[in-house]
Amino acid sequence: MGKRFAWLMSSALGCAPLVAAAAPPAGDYKIGFITDSTGPLAAAGLSYRRGAELAADEVTETNYIAPNAKLSLEVKEAAGDPARSIQDMNQFIADRRILATSCCILSAIVNSLKPVVAGKIPLVVYGATAPGLPELPWVYSVTALPGPKDTETAATVVKALQPKTVTYFVSADNDAFKARMAAAEKVVTGTGAKTSGVISVLGTDTDFTGPATQAMGTNPDAIMIYTTQTPCAGIIAALRARGYKGTIVGNDVLAPAAMWKKVGAPLVGVPFPLSFSPEVNRSPEAQAFSSAYQKKYSADPDLYSAQGYEAVWLIAQAAKSLNERPTRENLAQALANQTKVDHNVYGGLNVTNGQAEVTGVNIVNWTESGTLAQWRASK
Amino acid sequence: MQLLIEQIINGCALGAVYGLFAIGFGLVFSTLGILNAAHGTYATFAAIAAYYGSTALGLPFALTVLTGVLSGAVLALVVDQLAFQPLRGRGSGMIGALITSIACWMVLDSLAGSATEQQSLSFPVGTYPGAIWYVGSVPLPEMQILAIGLLLAVTVGVHWLLAHSRLGAAMRAVGWNQAAAQIAGVNPRVVIVATAALAGATSGLAGVLGGISTNNVSASLGEGMLLKGFAAVVVGGFSDVRGAAVAGVGLGVAEVLSAQYISSSMRDAITYGLLLGFLVLRPRGLFGAASFVRA
Repeated sequence: MGKRFAWLMSSALGCAPLVAAAAPPAGDYKIGFITDSTGPLAAAGLSYRRGAELAADEVTETNYIAPNAKLSLEVKEAAGDPARSIQDMNQFIADRRILATSCCILSAIVNSLKPVVAGKIPLVVYGATAPGLPELPWVYSVTALPGPKDTETAATVVKALQPKTVTYFVSADNDAFKARMAAAEKVVTGTGAKTSGVISVLGTDTDFTGPATQAMGTNPDAIMIYTTQTPCAGIIAALRARGYKGTIVGNDVLAPAAMWKKVGAPLVGVPFPLSFSPEVNRSPEAQAFSSAYQKKYSADPDLYSAQGYEAVWLIAQAAKSLNERPTRENLAQALANQTKVDHNVYGGLNVTNGQAEVTGVNIVNWTESGTLAQWRASK
Repeated sequence: MQLLIEQIINGCALGAVYGLFAIGFGLVFSTLGILNAAHGTYATFAAIAAYYGSTALGLPFALTVLTGVLSGAVLALVVDQLAFQPLRGRGSGMIGALITSIACWMVLDSLAGSATEQQSLSFPVGTYPGAIWYVGSVPLPEMQILAIGLLLAVTVGVHWLLAHSRLGAAMRAVGWNQAAAQIAGVNPRVVIVATAALAGATSGLAGVLGGISTNNVSASLGEGMLLKGFAAVVVGGFSDVRGAAVAGVGLGVAEVLSAQYISSSMRDAITYGLLLGFLVLRPRGLFGAASFVRA
């Protein structure tokens, strides 16, 4: 009896580490990735996809999920089109090799996909910025919400420069940007600065001489821009071309290097919030990510590639946490249990109710040499 | 008052680009009988060629513009001869040509996306006239003056060509009745080639000017001009380039003023509503006889 007990104990103890370290089996794990690498959102779409591809490669090469567990992306193009996105998602749902999906730059598309994926397949949003997109246990978002960063940036700039009047530009056809502008305006008016004008533009607009003239006609001390990328670039270029010398505050769409290449000198000194940039984020993970990205694509990563990267790492982390073969259902539950993304480039990426939150805000501006630097007020 | 004057100038400059585009678009419709959905891509490729001529080859501004104009002309010529010429032989009519032009549009649009690496590019500051002149306190950016001046020059030049030259007479004859023109000794093939090249060139000029003034050289550049150009041609009247030019400018001014004084988010609805109202009152357009079949 004593010998048998001793044998059972030793067996149990011997097996204990094995049970605790149980991992998903080797095999191919696929993520369905809907990309917008063509069409009006292509500049950002390419970055998201590249970041995601890099993460999948790293997960596989490091045997992160399990030894000989290969993680790969199954990529489908949607070109920013809602109908194509839904079609792509339905194809992923029908393909039983796909464990989870990741998609979407536009919040409206995510909202239209939510009922499609519910109860069928996990979806991790990599780009859409509207608050309230996650719906556990099927929909998650690694997009660092820009709202808190916008308000902090507006507050910082107003505190430093104390403008008396502010004119705003807003994308009238984008609810997320309208909410961001409203939040920033509330902070600014709270300091006593008056709103001298709100100018609406559309995402499809390309000529901004008229809106720039309109803004300058309000004679503001500062202009704050809450629009999508093309209008934001066009407005700043038009304002500077028409001789506006006052303060301009931008938003995170100005961060990609392609924006500097496109707009150049008019961007110098324009403050905007930034969640990731290889020049500003100096953690070892951020630097390793930047080096690997540069090596693979001969280009610097931007905030979009960082978000694509984190979307895949979140899925991989959830898969790794399982002690059985991942299925869509248990992976969805595992995603719901994640409270942070361990492997992140931000120096901290918490997940609350399915929504990732970046800790801290960098307020940066482009310099004359085409690099990003921490913004400093110069009156 | 100053704001109103500035916005009218902005509208005229924007409308000048629409007008230039509309002149080419209208020429193809009235002479060749093609409602060419691919016409916007001529402007797109012209802007892309000019951009690379400026940034990669360091061409001066005048040569940059010329590169764009020639690129637009060559592309229009190639498309016409490869896609539309075979249809003429078979007499496929306007619908066949329209569907073919949509196919060309899709193909060229994708190629333009590849040529720009799906990015929105801009002519670097300093590669085009960027100074601002002042009349009193009203600013007049050089590019706006240039756009308006070029519209005037092209309108006068093309109108003279059509109204007073042998080639222009031949173009009008082919546009009216190709068989009759041929009997009268006109070589329709030469007229078709000349018309396609001229239309591509004017649209190419619109593309370069539009690309510079909007800081947007991308695959979507010409697409944005297509609807505006079509509207300008319809309002101006298909048979007269002066109408296209005037309507283009009117469209630009209406767009800018409605955004300034009424609603920027309702701008297009207001602008096209005004155009609709105008056409109800004067269906022939500003100049000449409007025809949706063939001029």
